[in-house]
Amino acid sequence: MSQHKLIFGVLVGALVLAPMPWLLEDFYLSLALSCLMYAGLTVSWAMFCGSTQYLSIATSAFFGIGAYVTAWGSGTLPYPLAVLLGGAIAAAFAALVGSAVLHLRGAYFAVITFGLGELVRHAVTYFEKAYARTVGRIISDAPENWAVFLMVLFLAAAAIVTAALVRRSRFGLALAAIGSDEGRAQTLGANTRHVKTAGFALSAFFAGALGAAMAVRWTYIDPPTVFNPFIGFQTVLIAMIGGAHTLLGPLASSVVFSLLTEFLRLRFPYAYLVMLGVLLILLVLYLPGGLAQLWEKWRAMWNARWRARWDLRWNRLRARRGARLPRFSARSGRD
Amino acid sequence: MGLWLEVAAGGLITGGIYAVVAMGLNLQYGLMRIMNISHGEFLMVGAYFTWWAHTVWRVDPLVFLPVVAIVLFVAGLVIYRLCFRRIARAAASAEVVEARSLLIGFGLMFTVQNLAYLVFGADMRGYSYLADPVEIAGARFGQNRLLVFGFAVAASLALLAALRYTLFGKAVRAMMQSPTGAQLVGIDTGFLHPAVFGAGIALAGVAGALLSMIYEITPGMGEPYTVTALIVITLGGLGSAGGCLLGGFLLGLVEAFGMYWTSASLKMLLSYSVFIGVLLIRPKGLFAR
Repeated sequence: MSQHKLIFGVLVGALVLAPMPWLLEDFYLSLALSCLMYAGLTVSWAMFCGSTQYLSIATSAFFGIGAYVTAWGSGTLPYPLAVLLGGAIAAAFAALVGSAVLHLRGAYFAVITFGLGELVRHAVTYFEKAYARTVGRIISDAPENWAVFLMVLFLAAAAIVTAALVRRSRFGLALAAIGSDEGRAQTLGANTRHVKTAGFALSAFFAGALGAAMAVRWTYIDPPTVFNPFIGFQTVLIAMIGGAHTLLGPLASSVVFSLLTEFLRLRFPYAYLVMLGVLLILLVLYLPGGLAQLWEKWRAMWNARWRARWDLRWNRLRARRGARLPRFSARSGRD
Repeated sequence: MGLWLEVAAGGLITGGIYAVVAMGLNLQYGLMRIMNISHGEFLMVGAYFTWWAHTVWRVDPLVFLPVVAIVLFVAGLVIYRLCFRRIARAAASAEVVEARSLLIGFGLMFTVQNLAYLVFGADMRGYSYLADPVEIAGARFGQNRLLVFGFAVAASLALLAALRYTLFGKAVRAMMQSPTGAQLVGIDTGFLHPAVFGAGIALAGVAGALLSMIYEITPGMGEPYTVTALIVITLGGLGSAGGCLLGGFLLGLVEAFGMYWTSASLKMLLSYSVFIGVLLIRPKGLFAR
């Protein structure tokens, strides 16, 4: 799919979804919100981690930082500014941490990011207790539902468009090159350190902004809610199931999984997580590229088995009828 | 001076507990490159198993230790067969094994932890065992803590000796250096690989059984211990049994003195700063030559 088509599709989708707050009941609206939130989180996660093969579980840390920016600014900062600031502070934090730990590969990086959420959570808890003398915060003047929805919709659409633009850019190619062979990427002239830090910060921006935008949905905020590690796990899982190296895979699976979560997690909280765990194991063992891999395999099989035959027939028909039918050949496909 | 001694001794005892917790993961990650992030979950299973035997059958937890070890060893073999054999065989490099085993570990973590929630519920459980304090040089320590400390030192030294001096230990170390080379000189890696993995799980279970004598247990108790274990084996250097013990002591001391000077709620921050600091300055471990 070409870049322009995709961006056009995202814009149309956003326009279709925009009037939802005035059409849907509250329950469905919050369902749609959580779909959009996970769409934004997973697509921005896959933008960095899918292409560079760095496994970051720090999404909940960035999300929580954004949420706390809203909480601290509540009453003084206007909503859009809080969202922007939440994203910016999360990105700055990611750049700081990233420049220190991004030279570590593999499990160490994953473990550090695994702990990052806990670390920030403990730091915030300590800070609040020691200086603000409080455990949680109440968000006083939350914006209307429609404003929250439009903001989250905008952020999700922006994340998808950014990811699409990055994929084809020089920067995105450098990220992908780091994923396949970092040493070689360096030899070819990519400043891998800067590229990695910038990519990490860019994906953290969206996580932070989404955290800041969603924070107003809770009226009471405390560290365990917003730094919930489940947010980070779910993001990784959704992206992996969809296929982290693609753009549309994570997007599709985020919609499916946030619906599943909303319906199953409240009713069978533990059994649902057991199911997620088993699913993850099966996926890593038998389908490491996610559902996108299944789709690619299926398309390749389709092409190999049927397309050549169909093209042959079509071209014979075309020869018989003259040039009235459009030209069609196995090579002119969309890939 | 007496107070300092008490803080130091408390730190060393906690450090010994950390060393026990880290030992199993050290075998799995340090020697085999299997990043088993669900390590703490098997610790939790061991703890629940012991608690259950103690409350239902009144079995002495210390007598029950070998049973925990054997049951979890078998469980480890089964888990290896189901989850890790495929990736250990098919993977092209150690890095791929690491990345995939990490994800599988996350899956196991979700599964085991939430199964425990389903079976036992979220309540805290515990029993009292050897809880009377003893007085040594003016400072008071719980008997059970001293027991765990003694076990940590003994087990680490035993593991160190086994890896260094026995033929079995040599085979394990050979397998770590070069799986193919080990096969060429007649080491049955098809048996040894699962066995070492199972031993790691068994050690996690034993650590959990020991911890259940001291602390209250919940299904969510494993996660922090996984992180602690990772910090300890990073401090000590991957795969080194002696380094694991020293790393545990060091972390225990840093935490004890850090909490003494600052505040108890900063414990996690302290351990993470140690972890990140070591990874940045000496990624091969403090005692690497």
